[in-house]
Amino acid sequence: MNEDLRRKIVQMAYDGKDGHIPSAFSIIDIIELLYRDQLKIDPKSPEWSERDYFILSKGHGCLALYVVLEKFGFITQQDLDVFCRPGGILGEHPDCTKVPGVEASTGSLGHGLSFAVGIALGLRIRGMNNKIYVLVGDGECHEGTIWEAANVANNLQLGNLYVIVDWNGSAAQLMPRDDLPAKWRAFGWETMVVDGHSEVELRAAFDSIKFQPCGKPTVIIAKTVKGKGVPMLEGHGVWHHRIPNEVEFAQIMETLS
Amino acid sequence: MTNPTPKKLRQQFADTMLAVGREDPTLVVLIGDISHFILQPFAQACPGRFYNVGICEPTIVSMGAGLAKAGLYPVMHTIAPFLIERSFEQIKLDFCYQGLGGNLVTVGSAFDYANLGCTHHCYDDWALIKALPGTQITYPASPVEFDTLFRQTYRNGVLTLFRLPEHQHEQTFVTSDIQFGKAIKVKDGRNLTIVTTGPHLRDALEAREELMSMGWDPEIIYVHTIRPLDTELIRASVCKTHRVLVMEEHVRSGGLGDDVLRTVHDVANMQFSWIGIHDAFIHEYRPYSLHCEALSLSRDGLIRHVKTLMLD
Repeated sequence: MNEDLRRKIVQMAYDGKDGHIPSAFSIIDIIELLYRDQLKIDPKSPEWSERDYFILSKGHGCLALYVVLEKFGFITQQDLDVFCRPGGILGEHPDCTKVPGVEASTGSLGHGLSFAVGIALGLRIRGMNNKIYVLVGDGECHEGTIWEAANVANNLQLGNLYVIVDWNGSAAQLMPRDDLPAKWRAFGWETMVVDGHSEVELRAAFDSIKFQPCGKPTVIIAKTVKGKGVPMLEGHGVWHHRIPNEVEFAQIMETLS
Repeated sequence: MTNPTPKKLRQQFADTMLAVGREDPTLVVLIGDISHFILQPFAQACPGRFYNVGICEPTIVSMGAGLAKAGLYPVMHTIAPFLIERSFEQIKLDFCYQGLGGNLVTVGSAFDYANLGCTHHCYDDWALIKALPGTQITYPASPVEFDTLFRQTYRNGVLTLFRLPEHQHEQTFVTSDIQFGKAIKVKDGRNLTIVTTGPHLRDALEAREELMSMGWDPEIIYVHTIRPLDTELIRASVCKTHRVLVMEEHVRSGGLGDDVLRTVHDVANMQFSWIGIHDAFIHEYRPYSLHCEALSLSRDGLIRHVKTLMLD
């Protein structure tokens, strides 16, 4: 699934000598499906008032967002080609002041959901029907602000707010009592658990959400594999922030071909 | 006949929210479980635009940024250390870096919560907010100042701090006296410039007569806008007097004194002095007035300071 986008991610990291490849592979299938199938967007008008919002709260996975934004016409291949280079607009964390289609400058974990709660509330106050999607990491769920925001969203009944948790097991390395579904349910969220690399399961989950400006917020907990698609990258080892050398680059591209 | 008790700044905040909120459907108020009851008139007049979010200040700030992203004008209100110090990264990243405008309205200025100790003191807020590019800071110490400054700035797309003190200077200003970014020359003088803030305008005015008996003729400049600072008025005054004394309820580093010194450092034969909070936490339990006296932030402290440090 999405081998072409995974190849682009590896190419960008290799050329730019930076980036978090496994973190991007963990979420690429979710983000691609959202942009292809779920979000109401107009690449020619990124600030369209009726658009749906997508916020990548785990900003270090931004290589996945960049290749999807390119695929759907928000940015260009030329932008991807100068990732992390002087004059380019794409850095190691997404920047809404530079990149069309990026809704929030993230990177410091634990900000995106609270920010999204404000957007969801604000659009509801204005009588708008936009939907707000936020992708957070399971490690990011160690941040206290995630649970502040989860509590507030439930109490404000922000039914226009949808969270996807990238449950790739990063958190459990440190804190093995990691029953995320139970935690989100305890905070009053409509909670689903799916395979985050299965288009069928992801689409079914997204399609099952009934839009309601005032109702339970929804969380889709997506079980994912960090580095999914290339066995040598999978898991929680040295590849978190490592750039492949020439030989490794060739091996990874071969695996994805 | 006794003078009426002046309206509290916090009450003026509530009154201004009500008045502005009635005119502007884009004003939204988020609070951290303080001032809940006095904001009920706003809540009732502006349904759906008042949220007591509870004790989660970083999320309150991020939510405010989200409201701004959605095209609204947020006000975030609670006790200063929790809104500024605890939530500093949210202010920095979610508002300032992203170029979103909003309004931080704090109570518990400096050591107003005198006996509550360090947890409820906040005398570094100007330094913190000044460290963020493009921010604005006001310190209104009378109701008309808050009402006027808020109306002049709340929709200008910039992050603005309104630090509301518990104590007022009791000088009478009218709306036309108040212009965001402009200091007020309260008294003309000849050989000493006193730049004062917050309630300490009163101290400067009360000390003036005795200072004059000592041969000083102080020019008193009152600053309600800490950033952007009215450097033009201050510099013009110090070019005339060649001596400047700053009074502020703030730590020295990053306070008003630093900015005044930067403004006038190259004035020939200039002498600078400063009364504020030195590089130490305030540990003692005592009323606000005794904190002020211990720090020389008082009429008598000002006179002592001039006698000791300002050379004729």
